[in-house]
Amino acid sequence: MPTITSLHCSSETMECSSVSKSPMKKARFSNASIATKKKRKAFVSSTDFCTIQPHLYGVLPSGNRLFDQAAAESKDFSSPNQLLSDECWYNALEYCDGASLARVGQSCKYFYVVSHEPSLWRDLVLRINQVITKAGPTWKDCYVGMQNQKHFVLHKPLRVRGIYSDYLHRLHACRSFSIPQQWLEQNDSENLNNALIDRVHYKSMTIERFEREYEAKNRPVVIQGGCKSWRAFKRWTDQDYLLQKTNGRTFRATSGTAPLSANFTFQAYQEYCRSESLEEGPVYLFDRTALQPRSVLWKDYMLDLQRDCPYWDPERTDTTHDLFKVLGEGRRPDHTWLICGPRRSGSVFHIDPNATHAWNATIVGRKRWIFYPPGVTPPGVMPSDDGDEVTLPLSLGEWLLQFYDEHVKRLTNAPLDKRPIEFTAFPGDVVFVPHGYWHLVINLDETNIAVTHNYCSGSNLSSVLKFIRERNDQVSGCRDRPESIKPEHLYDEFVDELKKKYPKLIDEALQNDAWACDAWRDKVVEVGENENNGLNIVGAEQLGSKSIMTNAKEDAAFTFGFSL
Amino acid sequence: MDAEEPPITLVSKDGESFTVARKVAVMSELVKSTITDNEDEDESVTPEIPLPNVKSQVLQKVIEFCEHHLSDPMNEIEKPLKSKSMADVVQKWYADFVDLEQVLLFELILAANYMDIKPLLDLTCATVASMIKGKTPEEIRATFNITNDFTPEEEAQVRDENKWCESS
Repeated sequence: MPTITSLHCSSETMECSSVSKSPMKKARFSNASIATKKKRKAFVSSTDFCTIQPHLYGVLPSGNRLFDQAAAESKDFSSPNQLLSDECWYNALEYCDGASLARVGQSCKYFYVVSHEPSLWRDLVLRINQVITKAGPTWKDCYVGMQNQKHFVLHKPLRVRGIYSDYLHRLHACRSFSIPQQWLEQNDSENLNNALIDRVHYKSMTIERFEREYEAKNRPVVIQGGCKSWRAFKRWTDQDYLLQKTNGRTFRATSGTAPLSANFTFQAYQEYCRSESLEEGPVYLFDRTALQPRSVLWKDYMLDLQRDCPYWDPERTDTTHDLFKVLGEGRRPDHTWLICGPRRSGSVFHIDPNATHAWNATIVGRKRWIFYPPGVTPPGVMPSDDGDEVTLPLSLGEWLLQFYDEHVKRLTNAPLDKRPIEFTAFPGDVVFVPHGYWHLVINLDETNIAVTHNYCSGSNLSSVLKFIRERNDQVSGCRDRPESIKPEHLYDEFVDELKKKYPKLIDEALQNDAWACDAWRDKVVEVGENENNGLNIVGAEQLGSKSIMTNAKEDAAFTFGFSL
Repeated sequence: MDAEEPPITLVSKDGESFTVARKVAVMSELVKSTITDNEDEDESVTPEIPLPNVKSQVLQKVIEFCEHHLSDPMNEIEKPLKSKSMADVVQKWYADFVDLEQVLLFELILAANYMDIKPLLDLTCATVASMIKGKTPEEIRATFNITNDFTPEEEAQVRDENKWCESS
C-alpha cells in the first residue's frame, strides 16, 4: 500500500543510551522511560563502529602492553619499533618490492605484522598494472599468484603475541568497522539516526509530483520499489548472469586510498567481494561502459525504468529530463554507471559532478546514505581557503570513528534547513540525489550492485550552465575520451543545441545569473558549535587524510567536482 | 625572491639557533602552520620556532636538504624501488645526502616526520627500503640489530609460505 513516511528527529528525546558492545559505556536511563516502560530508543554512535573482529595478525592497542608481564620483564630484546615509529616503518616498507616484503616479514614478529598490511600488497598488485584474473583471498595471495605459480602457497595469517601498536590497530579498526544492526533493518521509527527522508512508493509518484515536490524544491526522496520490478532486479542477483553478459570484459575499480586503479575480470571482482579481504577503502567498481544504450544490461533496466519512473525517462518529449542528450551519446559527458562493491566500500563525502542531479537504483545489497544539504559542510570536511580543494578522510572507517558523533549532534540539533539526512536504501529502492547535496554512501552487504545516472533537467539547468561556465576547470566526465566534447567547448555547444530544441527553457535559464543552489555560492554556511567543524586538531596530516583535487584525473571513472 | 620576507630562526633541541630563509623553512608543514598561526605578529621580529625533538646535527642536515631542494627539486622516487642503490633511483646529490650512518639516518626520518617534510621523509624511508632490498631475513636482522622472536613453528610456517620469492 503506498504510503508516505516523513521522519523527523524528535528533539525532545535527548536520551542517548546507546546499544553498545563496549563494556566501558554507561547506560543512561531517564525516569520517564523506567516509569512508562517505553521502549528505549537508541542513537547509533561511534562506539557502535568499534570492530569486534580481532586484528588478523594479533596486534593490540598499546595500552595492552601494561598487561604483558613478559614484555615488561624482557631486557635484551631489540625490536624495530624502538628505532622508528610504526608509521615510519610503514612508509619505508611502501618502497619494498614483493620479495623484500616477504623476506623482511620473516625477520621478526614486528616486521611480520607490518609487512602484512593489506594496502602494501594491494599497491604492489596495482603497480604491476595487469588485469587481475584471480583475486585471491588476500591481496598478498593475489600478488604471489601473479608472480610464481610453481611455489604458490596460500597465505595463512599468523596471530602473533606481543605486538602493541595504536597506529596499526587504528588501521585495522578503520577497515573492519562494525556495521550497526539498526542500519540493516527496516524499522525507521525505531532508528533515530534515520532522519528526514521522504519515502514514496513508486506507484504514488507521478511525473508532476516528482517535479513539483522534489526536483523543483531540490529535496531528496527514496522511491520505494522503484526498481523492484526491473528485469535487472531479478537477473543481476545471479552472479553467473552478469558474468555472462559482461563477456570477458575487464572493469576498472578505484578507491580513495589506492594510488592507482585496478583492472579486474568480472569473475575476479566477484571473488574479491566475497573474500572480504578487509582493507581500508576497498576498491570500488564504477563502470561507465557496461550500460551502453541498447546493450543487454541497459535493456535490463531502461525499459522498466521508463514505465516505473517516468520522470527519469530520457526518451520522453513532454518532460525536460536529461537535457545533455541534445549533445548526442558519445559527445556528452559521462552520465551512466554500473556500480559494484564489497561490504564497507562506498564513497566519502562529495557533491556530484557538473551540478547534476542523480538517481541511484539499489539493485543488490543495502546501502547507508548520509546527505548534507547544499552549502552545509559535513563534519570532517575541510575546504581550503580558496575553496578549490577539500580535505577529508579518504576512508569511510576513519570518518565514522572520528566524525560520526559530531554528525549525530547535527542530526539532533541543527535547524531543519541545515540538518543532515541519514537512511538505508534497500534493494528495490531508487534514491534521488538532488544537485549540490553532499553525500556519503556505505555498502552494507557482501556484494552490492547499483545503477546510477547523472542528469540535467529544467530544474537544475541554470546551475549546470553556471557551473560549466564558471567552474570550467572542475567539469568532469569528458576529459579522457577522445570523442567527448572538451570542457572548454561544452558550454557553447550545450547552449547552442538547447536553443534549437528547448528555446524557451534555455532563454529562461540564461536570464538567471545568480546561483540558485547554495552548494557553489562563495559564502559557506557553517553549522555546529565548534568552529573547526567538529575537529579538535589542526592540520589535515594528523587526520591521516589527503586532499582531493577538484580537477579531473585521467584514470578516474568520474571525479568529485565541488567547490565551496 | 622577496627581500621583504623576514628569515626564520629554528631552534634545535640543544638550544642552537639556525636562521634560514622563509622559503626554506616553510618546506616543513609544521613550521608553516606555526607561522601562519602567528601572522599578526610584528614583522620586523624574526620568528623563532622551537624544535625540541630535533638535535642540532640532525636539524643541520634537514636545512641542508631543504635548501638544496629549492634549487634542484628531488625527483619522485618510484615505488617499489628498482634498485638497492639509491643513485639509481634519485639524483646523485640526494643519493649522496643519505649516505649516512644508520643512527643519523633514523634520526633524520624521525625529524622529517615530526617537521612534516614529505620529500625528505620519502627519501629517507626509501633509503631504509634500499637497505632491506636483496637481503635475507638473517641479513636484515643483522642490519638493524633485531632479535628473531619467532617460535620455531612460527618461523617454519612463515618460511614455507614464502618460498615463492626464493627463486627470483
